[in-house]
Amino acid sequence: MGISPIEYHPWKGERTAQNLRLYIIARSVFRHKLSSIGVIIMMIVGFMLVHALNLFTIILVSHDKLEGSDMTSYLGSGLFTVLSMLLAAVVTSDLISEDLANSSFVLYFSRALKVRDYLAGKAAGALLVMSLFCLIPPVLLASVSIATQTGSDYWHSFGVLGETVLVGALMTLFFVPFGLMISSFTRRKSYAAVGTFMAFFGLAVVAQIFSQFARGWRVISPIDALSILFKWLYEGQVPSYVNKDALLLIVASLIIVPAAIVYFRLTREVVGK
Amino acid sequence: MLISFDRIARSMAGEIAVDQKSASGVNPIHISAKDVTVSFGPVTALDGFNADIPHGIIGLLGPNGAGKSTLIKASLGLLVLDKGAISVGGLDSQSQSLQIRDFVGYMPEHDCLIPSVNAVELVSYLGMISGMAYRDAIQRSHEMLDFVGIGEERYRPIKSYSTGMKQKVKLAQAIVHDPKLLFLDEPTSGMDPQGREEMLSLVTRMASSEKTIVVSSHILEDVERICDYAVIIDNGKLVRSGEMTTLLAGEEGVRSLTVRGSEQALLGYVRALEQVCQIVDRKDQVGESTLLVRGCEDGKKVFRLAAENGAQVRSFRPERLDLEEVFLRAFRGGGRNGH
Repeated sequence: MGISPIEYHPWKGERTAQNLRLYIIARSVFRHKLSSIGVIIMMIVGFMLVHALNLFTIILVSHDKLEGSDMTSYLGSGLFTVLSMLLAAVVTSDLISEDLANSSFVLYFSRALKVRDYLAGKAAGALLVMSLFCLIPPVLLASVSIATQTGSDYWHSFGVLGETVLVGALMTLFFVPFGLMISSFTRRKSYAAVGTFMAFFGLAVVAQIFSQFARGWRVISPIDALSILFKWLYEGQVPSYVNKDALLLIVASLIIVPAAIVYFRLTREVVGK
Repeated sequence: MLISFDRIARSMAGEIAVDQKSASGVNPIHISAKDVTVSFGPVTALDGFNADIPHGIIGLLGPNGAGKSTLIKASLGLLVLDKGAISVGGLDSQSQSLQIRDFVGYMPEHDCLIPSVNAVELVSYLGMISGMAYRDAIQRSHEMLDFVGIGEERYRPIKSYSTGMKQKVKLAQAIVHDPKLLFLDEPTSGMDPQGREEMLSLVTRMASSEKTIVVSSHILEDVERICDYAVIIDNGKLVRSGEMTTLLAGEEGVRSLTVRGSEQALLGYVRALEQVCQIVDRKDQVGESTLLVRGCEDGKKVFRLAAENGAQVRSFRPERLDLEEVFLRAFRGGGRNGH
């Protein structure tokens, strides 16, 4: 007498609402990225190079209040931007390219999931990882600075803290849509990672070349554009050669245009025509 | 832990939980396609397709490029219809595709699994995306992997699996959320005979739980064995559909007759038979002829003429086809004589 086969049993549970399912994707991305050696190494190196030294300086050096200029020199340096760019390239590289390579879109979209929710889930997971480097350490550092300040002008310091939250959030967001867009163009995550970095690097080179003729061209370099924007936010000053509208337009378009492109590409990929 | 998504999802799920029965609308599920046209540039994949697909195990047959996968994807709302409408369980595939997909499972034909994760992770992840809570999804994914016959290897990365195991994982992910309607696109593709047998047995066992299962396959023998109903598509059009028993029954009034005897006896017998019946087909072998005759239902004349001509009747029964013959006849534009 053989063993009876395991029979099929119906499931009696309740489903979560359809619009909550993007959190499952976000959580999966977040967990997956935090177990990736490459991401961990990059975060540790980035933290040591960018945040740790400033943290020691704040703790050790006596200061009256948290100054915007201090935060500009900390976050407005190209190093923070370049490392954020590298991290974003690594984090976003496989988010869509791997699903393209494995043809696994069908597993997602044969379920009650919209393209918008799929993308939002992937982006949310990537943003959470990015925030661990771009948002949380600067906010913590600013908070430590406020906690250890000798002066009593806390309102000013809290104002700078608010600006730091804004700067951190912008840096967290800035590279992710572009990374997702590049990831949707290729089936190989290495191409996506290199492509994201090289695209920004290419813009920086173009900006460098054109700025020899007119310095205003610097704003098309993401690194320079963010440095100038942060200085504007913290100190209210923009170099005279920079057109503020052009600066805002370029920063906004580097976020919005890639997000729109990746959305339409995926819609086309899923709908199939 | 910075953020507990489980907690967020569970607490919100309590408020906005969707009852599974209400999501499915009706039970059992029927599919109805009315004048459906889907084209990809100059290629028309479905061309005025009409069909009513009932509850049960349904075979979807057709040559490569006939439009089978397009029909499945269009039913899931994954394709925009140029014309017509598809209703799945009473819901419109275009405007209510998300509601449809909540009670549908889909096992794609091609390789689509994520190779770097193991089967438990993949199936439970897709269960959660289908709306299951974390604990339910984990428990259910183990149950489904047990059901499809994936043992301890479920903890190995999927990239190390054989084709048969991947097919089983694809089935497990399609049924993890207990769909009412299941689309299986070439479920036995690339499987060895034993694997095929197991897969067909799984499909049959699942059908006992009131599911509608649509099996798209090239392997007609598989479809004939497990399906209650067949839909034959070619060039994006419905060629033939019906209950399997009806399709296989052959033409009414046509009988298959096998006779043995010497060449002369058989020749004489066939000549005599032609006087009383219509012979619609004839296959001769050495000492034996197989005839399809129309108009000899009672059989008395058949046996009498055989005795008179020295031929021996070996069998005389209503015509019964296999699905391959039904398929071929459908593509010949009808039966032997338009049947």
